[in-house]
Amino acid sequence: MLCYYMRKLLSRLPLRQFAGLLFVLPGLLFLLPDQPETRMHDSQEGIVYYTRSGRAEFTSRVPLHTFTGESDNLVGMIDLENNVIDFYIDLRSVETGIDRRDRDMHRTLSLDEHPFAEFTGALESPVELVSGNEKTVTAVGEFTVHGVTRDVRIDGTLILQDDNLLLEAEWELDIEEYDIEPPSFLFLQVNEIQEMRIEATMEPRPREEILGNNDS
Amino acid sequence: MALFFLFGWMGFLLAGSALAQLPREPVQEDRPVYNVFWSSKNVGISTVRNPSEGSLNTSVLHTFGLVDGGESRRGIDQFFGLDDGANTRIGLEYGITDRWSVGIGRMTFNKVVDINTKANILRQTTTNSMPVELAVKVMLGITTRPGQGLEFSDRLSFFSSVMVARKFDRFSLQLAPMVAHFNRPEMAGLVIRPEDEYQDQLFGLGVVANYEFNDRFSLGAEYLPVIGDRNAGTQDAMALALNIDTGGHIFQLFFASSQWHNEAFVMANNRDRFWKGDIRFGFNINRVFGIGR
Repeated sequence: MLCYYMRKLLSRLPLRQFAGLLFVLPGLLFLLPDQPETRMHDSQEGIVYYTRSGRAEFTSRVPLHTFTGESDNLVGMIDLENNVIDFYIDLRSVETGIDRRDRDMHRTLSLDEHPFAEFTGALESPVELVSGNEKTVTAVGEFTVHGVTRDVRIDGTLILQDDNLLLEAEWELDIEEYDIEPPSFLFLQVNEIQEMRIEATMEPRPREEILGNNDS
Repeated sequence: MALFFLFGWMGFLLAGSALAQLPREPVQEDRPVYNVFWSSKNVGISTVRNPSEGSLNTSVLHTFGLVDGGESRRGIDQFFGLDDGANTRIGLEYGITDRWSVGIGRMTFNKVVDINTKANILRQTTTNSMPVELAVKVMLGITTRPGQGLEFSDRLSFFSSVMVARKFDRFSLQLAPMVAHFNRPEMAGLVIRPEDEYQDQLFGLGVVANYEFNDRFSLGAEYLPVIGDRNAGTQDAMALALNIDTGGHIFQLFFASSQWHNEAFVMANNRDRFWKGDIRFGFNINRVFGIGR
């Protein structure tokens, strides 16, 4: 009985006239922003902020000792217009100051197979950047290291200064979540929590120049 | 019109499916070859290895008496040389850059203090754009044994070597022509006899080899013949070593003919022959501290 009334109702609807909506609606949706909007100046349209020489550090702790690994080869892009953040680093460029320890790190992280640590995501909420003012932001996305990807939230700050975007962020990384076995030396084991820190001065560049054919 | 909306569909689907990503590019393809040798000294011969910038390599080297007991030929009486006084050298080397270090050491025999510096002129690279390592080491030795009644300059010795090395997969080989000069030959610990000849200047060719079984163990060997005129009664030195990488330390357990701990004194005053059974047990410990970080 229910089916009968539904068929009757549908037969009275002018579906032919509305069929075009099946095409129109997605077209309109495409025109709408699908991610949080970041307020920008007109001059920022079509540009992304980019670096090839950002600094990345991690701090590891073993009992009675702390050491730091550093690299100035952090590569990244922040596209405020489309709210896309993408960073990566070739972990083979990270140095701890002792080449033997670097080699152990390379082995632990299986860098021959998985040389990059990478983050791809977006700002969690819109941000309006005013030159000289520091803004606290949260990035959400996927962080990959050792071939394992996890969802992460990373807090950081952005400052627009002299047309450049200054970025700083710190977070803690539990290497066991990425199937990394904490290295051990004799009876001492490296703490599984690594303190991560990045900073970069990012220059405005045309989006097409940076992303080329990778811009989807 | 229909085409416009078709593209609308496609755009809508693509916008939600992927974020723009930078192409992942490696930083540097051509890197220095790692671990041509595991420590800055094999047993008694320096290698091309330098501590990296800002790191301090500490080393303690010991060589005991003859395993066979020496003249008594009763090794057990001297517990295979361990009851004989060991020659011990404590050394520090600091990496000013990744290619240049300065160091100081002091050994028991003759109370010799040495001040040295080593520079890597060339580094072997992974792509073979540079096929060899080339390093230069110079050293000033000061014999501080008291009661000699000598001028300070008489106590000085000088040493220089050029080390050329290459790592072939797991096997490393180094050739190191070297020269040593003693202002007074007796400062090398020689007992001078009028009927014998002694040299102020000595030339040698250090040969060092290392084979890695895995990341933790390797077998090393070295041979140091004196080229040309030599001090009376001296012999070419040889050693075999097992290197153990514990993760924090490099231990070297070795059998060597010479009890001296730097090349100048090995060339000047080694009197033992490895293949005739003049073998001493010894061990070296190397530990690197990253004091720059």
